Amino acid sequence: MPNQALLVQSLVDLADNLVDDFDVVDVLSLLSDRCVYALDVTAAGVMLAAPSGTLEVIASSSDTMRTLEMFQLQSDEGPCLEAYRTGRQVVNIDLAAVGSRWPTFAAHATADGFGSAHSFPLRLRRRTLGALNLLRIEPGALDEADIAAAQALADIATIAIVQHQIVIDAQTLNSQLSAALNTRIVIEQAKGKIAQATDTDMDRAFRRLRHHARNHNQRLGDLAARIAQGAIDPGSLDHLPASG
Amino acid sequence: MAAERLLRILSLLAERDGSGVPRLCDVAVEVTAVSGAGVMLFADGRPQASLCSTDDVSLLIEEAQYTLGEGPCVDAHRLGQVISEPDLGGANCARWAAFSREAFDAGARAVFGYPIRLGAARLGALNLYRDQPGALSDDQHIDALVMADVAARAILTAQVEAASDHLGAGLDGDMNLWAIVHQAAGMVSVQLAIPVADALVRLRAHAFATDRLVAHVALDVVERRLRLDIDE
Repeated sequence: MPNQALLVQSLVDLADNLVDDFDVVDVLSLLSDRCVYALDVTAAGVMLAAPSGTLEVIASSSDTMRTLEMFQLQSDEGPCLEAYRTGRQVVNIDLAAVGSRWPTFAAHATADGFGSAHSFPLRLRRRTLGALNLLRIEPGALDEADIAAAQALADIATIAIVQHQIVIDAQTLNSQLSAALNTRIVIEQAKGKIAQATDTDMDRAFRRLRHHARNHNQRLGDLAARIAQGAIDPGSLDHLPASG
Repeated sequence: MAAERLLRILSLLAERDGSGVPRLCDVAVEVTAVSGAGVMLFADGRPQASLCSTDDVSLLIEEAQYTLGEGPCVDAHRLGQVISEPDLGGANCARWAAFSREAFDAGARAVFGYPIRLGAARLGALNLYRDQPGALSDDQHIDALVMADVAARAILTAQVEAASDHLGAGLDGDMNLWAIVHQAAGMVSVQLAIPVADALVRLRAHAFATDRLVAHVALDVVERRLRLDIDE
């Protein structure tokens, strides 16, 4: 079972880092340390994908952990890589029994005295940003509550990373949001103009707008904007096929 | 502790593989313990979309601000500061002549607007209302500030993976863009041979003059029960 008091403190410490301008490395180092304190594990580490897609070791609770994570990257094998690539948890791995699956990693980890490995994706929708890697001296399965708690910590780390990036891109994203809103709005305005000019309903007006855009290989939003602005006569669009 | 407030909000919003946007308004009500909440997005200085609202009163507060172009949300966005009107029915509440009456008639007694922004990016505002007069406590105020910050981050996060010119998944679901108002503006623009922007002004003016919501006027236009050139 996770130590509840320590787990809550971990979550609060992590959330605290969200408030101020923070360094992602600091947050993930905190996450690694807290995993060891709050969960029933011996060592923890975090790998994060660089913009190029290659994984990098960002944080580790110990030098041994850092070395083992480096081995995973160098030999291109191990639970952390698999969690990152599949976006799924790779947990309850008995290191004594996976010599054929991950020969280099399993050999080094067992030599360092570890019995089991557990990896959690840092995931936002379809995007996986990296993985949290946990190692225990004991072989065998993690407690269900520990698994849930570890994924919760991984999820908060993910939000921390994503929200950190959001601040950097806030103005660009806000412009894109406004542009998307405006596109939706001008489509409605164009529908209204077409409906009035051709004496039809909104549904049929929209189909005619879409039909014309496709016929002329134009983006729907661009065509709608030109109609709304008055650059194109709303009554002049291509007619729908007879069946339409 | 700001961290504890933030943690509470994040844990209420948290959903696997999601931005939390669909729950923003419900969580805002839960953490601030007010009667209702709504989130409005702005473009070109005007409210253009309602992301969510928790009840009929919140909905009407948004409809009224969209129609009239005034209210706590509009001021919060424009001025970039928190707007607090603890007594809508009070003798001193002349801040928004038309909006105050609409909101009071709907059942709101106190209204608050919190800007939703991140750095230099100004997205819109969070509307809160109470069905009794009274200011927010310091605790409620700080919770609302943190909530507005989380809302900004959640909305922009939802937009990260959107295709060009598309709204992010999670934003699209319950968003009210007042589509019918823009459809009606398109029709009026053709009827009167005026630009769409002028047609929008005419629709709002008609709504104001007849003491109706612009969405209701727009419905009459779209269903061809009303022509502004004949009526005015």
